[in-house]
Amino acid sequence: MPGAGQGRGGLTMRTPALRRFFRIHIVLSVLYIALVALASQVIPDDAAPTPMVIGFALLPGLVVLGWVWNMGRLLVEMEDEYLRMLEVRKMLWATAITLSVCGGWGLVELFAAIPRLPVFFVFPIWCGGLAAGQLINRFTIGDGDCA
Amino acid sequence: MNNRLKVLRAERDWSQQDLAERLGVSRQSVNAIEKGRYDPSLPLAFTIADLFGLPIEAIFLREGETL
Repeated sequence: MPGAGQGRGGLTMRTPALRRFFRIHIVLSVLYIALVALASQVIPDDAAPTPMVIGFALLPGLVVLGWVWNMGRLLVEMEDEYLRMLEVRKMLWATAITLSVCGGWGLVELFAAIPRLPVFFVFPIWCGGLAAGQLINRFTIGDGDCA
Repeated sequence: MNNRLKVLRAERDWSQQDLAERLGVSRQSVNAIEKGRYDPSLPLAFTIADLFGLPIEAIFLREGETL
Protein backbone atom coordinates (compact mmCIF):
# COMPACT_ATOMS: atom_id res chain seq x y z
CA MET A 1 0.00 0.00 0.00
CA PRO A 2 1.54 3.33 -0.91
CA GLY A 3 2.82 5.35 2.00
CA ALA A 4 1.52 3.38 4.91
CA GLY A 5 3.08 5.31 7.78
CA GLN A 6 5.72 7.86 7.15
CA GLY A 7 8.34 8.92 9.63
CA ARG A 8 11.22 11.33 9.92
CA GLY A 9 12.67 12.33 6.58
CA GLY A 10 9.99 10.42 4.72
CA LEU A 11 11.31 7.08 5.91
CA THR A 12 8.91 4.47 7.13
CA MET A 13 8.30 4.63 10.87
CA ARG A 14 9.03 1.15 12.15
CA THR A 15 6.45 0.56 14.81
CA PRO A 16 5.77 -3.14 15.49
CA ALA A 17 2.36 -2.85 13.79
CA LEU A 18 3.90 -1.32 10.66
CA ARG A 19 6.66 -3.92 10.57
CA ARG A 20 4.05 -6.67 10.66
CA PHE A 21 2.01 -4.85 8.01
CA PHE A 22 4.91 -4.50 5.57
CA ARG A 23 6.09 -8.08 6.15
CA ILE A 24 2.64 -9.48 5.33
CA HIS A 25 2.19 -7.00 2.47
CA ILE A 26 5.41 -8.08 0.77
CA VAL A 27 4.53 -11.78 1.08
CA LEU A 28 1.04 -11.14 -0.33
CA SER A 29 2.44 -9.06 -3.19
CA VAL A 30 4.88 -11.81 -4.21
CA LEU A 31 2.03 -14.32 -4.01
CA TYR A 32 -0.15 -12.03 -6.17
CA ILE A 33 2.49 -11.81 -8.91
CA ALA A 34 3.01 -15.58 -8.80
CA LEU A 35 -0.73 -16.29 -9.02
CA VAL A 36 -1.24 -13.82 -11.90
CA ALA A 37 1.66 -15.48 -13.74
CA LEU A 38 0.18 -18.91 -13.03
CA ALA A 39 -3.27 -17.88 -14.25
CA SER A 40 -1.71 -16.39 -17.39
CA GLN A 41 0.07 -19.67 -18.09
CA VAL A 42 -2.90 -21.94 -17.39
CA ILE A 43 -5.75 -19.93 -18.90
CA PRO A 44 -5.72 -19.32 -22.67
CA ASP A 45 -6.62 -15.79 -23.84
CA ASP A 46 -9.96 -16.83 -25.33
CA ALA A 47 -10.99 -19.28 -22.61
CA ALA A 48 -14.66 -19.98 -22.00
CA PRO A 49 -15.89 -19.01 -18.50
CA THR A 50 -15.85 -22.51 -17.06
CA PRO A 51 -15.76 -23.01 -13.28
CA MET A 52 -12.09 -24.00 -13.47
CA VAL A 53 -11.14 -20.91 -15.49
CA ILE A 54 -13.08 -18.65 -13.12
CA GLY A 55 -11.44 -20.37 -10.14
CA PHE A 56 -7.94 -19.78 -11.50
CA ALA A 57 -8.79 -16.18 -12.38
CA LEU A 58 -10.07 -15.56 -8.85
CA LEU A 59 -6.95 -16.86 -7.11
CA PRO A 60 -5.18 -13.47 -7.28
CA GLY A 61 -8.44 -11.98 -6.02
CA LEU A 62 -7.92 -13.83 -2.75
CA VAL A 63 -4.66 -11.92 -2.37
CA VAL A 64 -6.55 -8.66 -2.91
CA LEU A 65 -8.79 -9.71 -0.02
CA GLY A 66 -5.60 -10.35 1.95
CA TRP A 67 -4.35 -6.83 1.21
CA VAL A 68 -7.63 -5.35 2.45
CA TRP A 69 -7.56 -7.53 5.57
CA ASN A 70 -3.94 -6.48 6.23
CA MET A 71 -4.87 -2.80 6.01
CA GLY A 72 -7.75 -3.31 8.41
CA ARG A 73 -5.45 -5.18 10.78
CA LEU A 74 -2.98 -2.31 10.66
CA LEU A 75 -5.67 0.14 11.77
CA VAL A 76 -6.70 -2.14 14.63
CA GLU A 77 -3.14 -2.72 15.80
CA MET A 78 -1.77 0.84 15.46
CA GLU A 79 -1.32 2.12 19.00
CA ASP A 80 -0.62 5.75 18.13
CA GLU A 81 -4.00 7.44 17.73
CA TYR A 82 -2.68 10.39 15.69
CA LEU A 83 -0.89 8.19 13.15
CA ARG A 84 -3.98 5.97 13.00
CA MET A 85 -6.11 9.04 12.29
CA LEU A 86 -3.76 9.96 9.41
CA GLU A 87 -4.10 6.44 7.96
CA VAL A 88 -7.89 6.56 8.23
CA ARG A 89 -7.95 9.98 6.51
CA LYS A 90 -5.85 8.55 3.67
CA MET A 91 -8.27 5.67 3.23
CA LEU A 92 -11.26 8.01 3.24
CA TRP A 93 -9.63 10.16 0.56
CA ALA A 94 -8.80 7.05 -1.45
CA THR A 95 -12.42 5.90 -1.23
CA ALA A 96 -13.74 9.34 -2.19
CA ILE A 97 -11.39 9.56 -5.18
CA THR A 98 -12.21 6.01 -6.33
CA LEU A 99 -15.97 6.56 -6.11
CA SER A 100 -15.66 9.88 -7.92
CA VAL A 101 -13.48 8.53 -10.73
CA CYS A 102 -15.50 5.34 -11.23
CA GLY A 103 -18.86 7.05 -10.85
CA GLY A 104 -17.87 9.88 -13.17
CA TRP A 105 -16.39 7.56 -15.77
CA GLY A 106 -19.47 5.34 -15.64
CA LEU A 107 -21.76 8.28 -16.32
CA VAL A 108 -19.68 9.38 -19.29
CA GLU A 109 -19.76 5.77 -20.54
CA LEU A 110 -23.55 5.96 -20.57
CA PHE A 111 -23.68 8.96 -22.86
CA ALA A 112 -20.45 8.94 -24.87
CA ALA A 113 -18.49 6.39 -26.86
CA ILE A 114 -15.49 6.07 -24.57
CA PRO A 115 -13.66 2.87 -23.60
CA ARG A 116 -15.17 0.94 -20.72
CA LEU A 117 -13.24 1.20 -17.47
CA PRO A 118 -12.34 -2.39 -16.51
CA VAL A 119 -13.43 -3.21 -12.95
CA PHE A 120 -9.93 -4.58 -12.43
CA PHE A 121 -8.69 -0.99 -12.16
CA VAL A 122 -10.84 -0.10 -9.13
CA PHE A 123 -8.28 -1.34 -6.60
CA PRO A 124 -5.26 0.29 -8.33
CA ILE A 125 -7.23 3.56 -8.47
CA TRP A 126 -7.92 3.22 -4.74
CA CYS A 127 -4.19 2.67 -4.08
CA GLY A 128 -3.46 5.78 -6.14
CA GLY A 129 -6.00 7.54 -3.92
CA LEU A 130 -3.98 6.50 -0.88
CA ALA A 131 -0.95 8.27 -2.33
CA ALA A 132 -3.10 11.35 -2.99
CA GLY A 133 -4.46 11.12 0.56
CA GLN A 134 -0.93 11.07 1.91
CA LEU A 135 -0.12 14.27 0.03
CA ILE A 136 -3.35 15.88 1.24
CA ASN A 137 -2.47 14.93 4.82
CA ARG A 138 0.98 16.40 4.42
CA PHE A 139 -0.28 19.71 3.06
CA THR A 140 -3.20 20.06 5.46
CA ILE A 141 -2.35 18.64 8.89
CA GLY A 142 1.07 17.06 8.48
CA ASP A 143 4.16 18.62 10.00
CA GLY A 144 6.37 18.13 6.97
CA ASP A 145 7.80 14.83 8.08
CA CYS A 146 4.73 12.75 8.57
CA ALA A 147 1.65 12.00 6.53
CA MET B 1 -7.98 23.50 21.01
CA ASN B 2 -5.21 25.51 22.67
CA ASN B 3 -2.90 23.87 25.18
CA ARG B 4 0.13 24.52 27.38
CA LEU B 5 1.99 21.40 26.38
CA LYS B 6 4.93 23.21 24.80
CA VAL B 7 5.40 25.43 27.88
CA LEU B 8 5.14 22.51 30.30
CA ARG B 9 7.59 20.51 28.22
CA ALA B 10 10.05 23.41 28.03
CA GLU B 11 9.86 23.89 31.81
CA ARG B 12 11.12 20.34 32.19
CA ASP B 13 13.68 20.73 29.41
CA TRP B 14 12.17 17.83 27.49
CA SER B 15 12.33 17.51 23.73
CA GLN B 16 9.27 16.43 21.79
CA GLN B 17 10.89 13.01 21.49
CA ASP B 18 11.39 12.85 25.27
CA LEU B 19 7.75 13.66 25.90
CA ALA B 20 6.61 11.23 23.20
CA GLU B 21 8.56 8.40 24.81
CA ARG B 22 7.12 9.21 28.24
CA LEU B 23 3.61 9.18 26.79
CA GLY B 24 4.16 6.13 24.58
CA VAL B 25 3.19 7.97 21.39
CA SER B 26 5.04 9.18 18.31
CA ARG B 27 6.92 12.49 18.18
CA GLN B 28 4.56 13.48 15.37
CA SER B 29 1.64 13.11 17.79
CA VAL B 30 3.27 15.44 20.32
CA ASN B 31 4.03 17.96 17.58
CA ALA B 32 0.47 17.86 16.23
CA ILE B 33 -1.04 18.27 19.71
CA GLU B 34 1.30 21.13 20.63
CA LYS B 35 0.44 23.00 17.46
CA GLY B 36 -3.29 22.47 18.00
CA ARG B 37 -3.66 20.47 14.81
CA TYR B 38 -4.87 17.41 16.68
CA ASP B 39 -6.98 17.12 19.81
CA PRO B 40 -5.99 14.03 21.80
CA SER B 41 -8.51 11.44 22.93
CA LEU B 42 -9.68 11.61 26.52
CA PRO B 43 -7.48 8.67 27.61
CA LEU B 44 -4.39 10.34 26.09
CA ALA B 45 -5.35 13.69 27.64
CA PHE B 46 -5.56 11.97 31.05
CA THR B 47 -2.16 10.35 30.44
CA ILE B 48 -0.69 13.77 29.65
CA ALA B 49 -2.32 15.28 32.75
CA ASP B 50 -1.00 12.47 34.93
CA LEU B 51 2.51 12.89 33.54
CA PHE B 52 2.58 16.59 34.40
CA GLY B 53 0.66 16.13 37.65
CA LEU B 54 -1.97 18.65 36.61
CA PRO B 55 -5.70 18.51 35.91
CA ILE B 56 -6.67 18.33 32.25
CA GLU B 57 -8.16 21.82 32.29
CA ALA B 58 -4.80 23.22 33.41
CA ILE B 59 -3.22 21.90 30.21
CA PHE B 60 -5.97 22.05 27.58
CA LEU B 61 -7.90 25.26 27.09
CA ARG B 62 -11.34 25.78 25.60
CA GLU B 63 -11.65 27.61 22.28
CA GLY B 64 -11.13 31.32 22.87
CA GLU B 65 -9.57 30.75 26.28
CA THR B 66 -6.11 32.28 26.59
CA LEU B 67 -3.05 31.03 28.41
